[in-house]
Amino acid sequence: MVRGLLVRPEKCTGCHRCDLWCSLTKDGVCNPARSRIHVIRREPDLDTPVTCTQCGVCLSACPYDAIKCNVKTGAVFVEDKACKKCGICVMACPTGMLTYAPGSKIPSKCDLCAGDPECVKHCRDGALTYEAPARLAASRREDYARALSTAARAGSPANLLLSALSGEAGSDD
Amino acid sequence: MIEHGYMGEYVRVNLTTREVSIVSIEEEEIRPYIGCSGYAVKMLWDETEPGTDPLGPEAIVIFATGPVAGTLCPSGGSYELCFKSPLTGAWCQSRSGGGFGARLKYAGYDFLLVEGKSEKRVYISVHDKTVEIRDASHLWGHDVGRVTSEILAEISDPDASVATIGPAGEHLVRYAAVMNDRGRAAGRGGGGAVLGSKNLKAVVVNGSRDIKVAQPKEFAEVVVTAEENLSRYPFEGVNQFGTPLLVGIQNAAGALPTKNFSEGQFDAFETIGGEAVTDHHLLKRRACFGCAMGCGRHTVVEEGRWATAPGDGPEYETLAMFGSLCLNDDLPSIIRANFMCNEYGLDTVSTGSAIAFAMDCCEHGLLSAAQCGGSLVEWGDSERIVALVEDIALRRGLGDLLANGVAAAAREIGGNAADFAVHVKGMEVPGHEPRGEAKIMGLQYAVNPRGACHMHPNWGAIWDSGQFECGMRAFGIPWPPTDKYEETGASKGLAYRFVAIQGEISEIVGACVFHSWGADDACITPDLYSRILRTLTGMDMDQHELFQAADRSWVMKRCFNAREGFRREHDTLPKKLRQALPSGPAKGQSVGNIEGMIDEYYEACGWDMTTGIPLAETLEALGLHDVREMLWPE
Repeated sequence: MVRGLLVRPEKCTGCHRCDLWCSLTKDGVCNPARSRIHVIRREPDLDTPVTCTQCGVCLSACPYDAIKCNVKTGAVFVEDKACKKCGICVMACPTGMLTYAPGSKIPSKCDLCAGDPECVKHCRDGALTYEAPARLAASRREDYARALSTAARAGSPANLLLSALSGEAGSDD
Repeated sequence: MIEHGYMGEYVRVNLTTREVSIVSIEEEEIRPYIGCSGYAVKMLWDETEPGTDPLGPEAIVIFATGPVAGTLCPSGGSYELCFKSPLTGAWCQSRSGGGFGARLKYAGYDFLLVEGKSEKRVYISVHDKTVEIRDASHLWGHDVGRVTSEILAEISDPDASVATIGPAGEHLVRYAAVMNDRGRAAGRGGGGAVLGSKNLKAVVVNGSRDIKVAQPKEFAEVVVTAEENLSRYPFEGVNQFGTPLLVGIQNAAGALPTKNFSEGQFDAFETIGGEAVTDHHLLKRRACFGCAMGCGRHTVVEEGRWATAPGDGPEYETLAMFGSLCLNDDLPSIIRANFMCNEYGLDTVSTGSAIAFAMDCCEHGLLSAAQCGGSLVEWGDSERIVALVEDIALRRGLGDLLANGVAAAAREIGGNAADFAVHVKGMEVPGHEPRGEAKIMGLQYAVNPRGACHMHPNWGAIWDSGQFECGMRAFGIPWPPTDKYEETGASKGLAYRFVAIQGEISEIVGACVFHSWGADDACITPDLYSRILRTLTGMDMDQHELFQAADRSWVMKRCFNAREGFRREHDTLPKKLRQALPSGPAKGQSVGNIEGMIDEYYEACGWDMTTGIPLAETLEALGLHDVREMLWPE
């Protein structure tokens, strides 16, 4: 069954075990810079993993059809052999989670570990879960509603949709 | 060069000549010490002369990591700052979590060794194997948060880790801390003053280098075992309440240091305890890098007299030192004092102890109102406590006297002020009261190389009262422990020998010692650490080799001090801890026979009973031939 990663930033302690597990499993090393999940810590109190949402923007953007979707897992993946290293997908990615590992010119991204993501298995605080599509949809609806509401309170209805999607409306300042 | 687990190289920066050199690390050199503070003491032994001024240009300071830092072995991103202490004149290591240790390794290096003194004020940037000495003149005088933000902006890497001193380090406060990732502290012993003396404001590290793993699949398996063990960790409240949960536990045992170690219980303990912090001030839990527990607090005081911006802490020690030790029941003021210590770069333990010492001296007529800037320092005066934090950091008035530590302050005050200075070897006693908690803590304070230390290499009371064997029965630790109030005749010397070495394992692999406390299946035992090292580094290592390396490291620290002139007479306890507790569950308890405990300990270790120097045969058995030649010339 297709499932996806759900992030609950309020539960994240910023321990980085998800990104370390990612690099160990996929690359046999410990190195967050190679990871396909990134933990961001910013002051005063933000800790959150950022993940690929498998949205497929990269798939649409690729001029060479080098990005495909695994219909079993829902994971969008880069076909290394077909990749022309143009970088258009990296520029298109809305979350910045399709990018280059150190020393590589072919971008890498989360493939959901073939349907059994290591990051989720090792998140002891429940900040990362692996959820069915309807559950993910419900969660995104909630986030979208909150972003819209924040944007409306900030008095920017004209750019409501755009600002909600770009996340700018979520900022208090 | 050693390739797995380690980065295989370290950086030397000479601030006098501005020379940067990269040194390869070979397996045969580092393996006997494993790494982190174990290898750092070997470096400091080899490279400094006895009698070196800790604040002089010839002093060396080492930012040290071990093989597990930055890996999936739960390490807490540890690094240890290693140096000769300007507070004690002895060996000092100060561990900090956060992300600095991990990111130093991602930058490409296991250690950063700094020597000399810069003519101008500088900071060091180590980024993906590029080392730069950069101007810090615009950062001097500024606090930790601002310096951290400015450096991260200058190097355009918000994920990097900054270790910096605050104004306290610049003013050479003898217990100035080096703060990393804003709120994590290499707190004890005055490493901040060492950096300040070198005109070194900060070090920033990050990079994208791999930590290579010798056997990734097998390493993953033992890491899963470690994760499972830690999910059974015996101090289950540590996630929810962090170390502040100890306030209630210590108070119940009559071991919460109160009124400058005059008492062991504090009436208002609940108002400064773990639940109060969590209920009223906790913004969120924050883990150190790679930690599988996450005891860190991120707190705020939202309103009122002590409204304080979000920051890390307070830890148990800070609550005890600024709370019960000073008879202060005003939790927001403690959080403010903690925040200011972090921003000014001060060790909260020594700062709190220095303020409690001043209160005691005022009560006993040893300090006049004039000496205190107009009025005496009264017990429980939270306004005064917070004000004194700033005065100490900036060396103003009474703060200038207290900034040298309680031992030096007592000498200057004269009279019987030394009776109220609660320290060992010049280091202020932290928040673990040996009379009520367990007598083994008294022995630990007396013999520890850095002075009164509850952490490096261990918290001895875990054995004496905590009932956890921590994988040590394999080495013959006396088990089960005897009555925690026993002093001699109960194998405490032998027990502490093992306790110290078990803790020293964390200090040489480069991990937080919290992970090694618990029953055999609820912590990372020496055996599990050896399996982690084997699969990570590829070195064919068993727990006995690891144990011996830890023993070697522990003995080297002792020998470093011996070379500096430390002898048995320095292994002692302050008068307060040798007097009986007046009330509470531990009423009547004192550490009465510390000399007897030391006798038993030296005997268990193979150390000379008269001088306290490790015997020649003890040193030879550990392969420390050069050290033997220096300390026992034929």
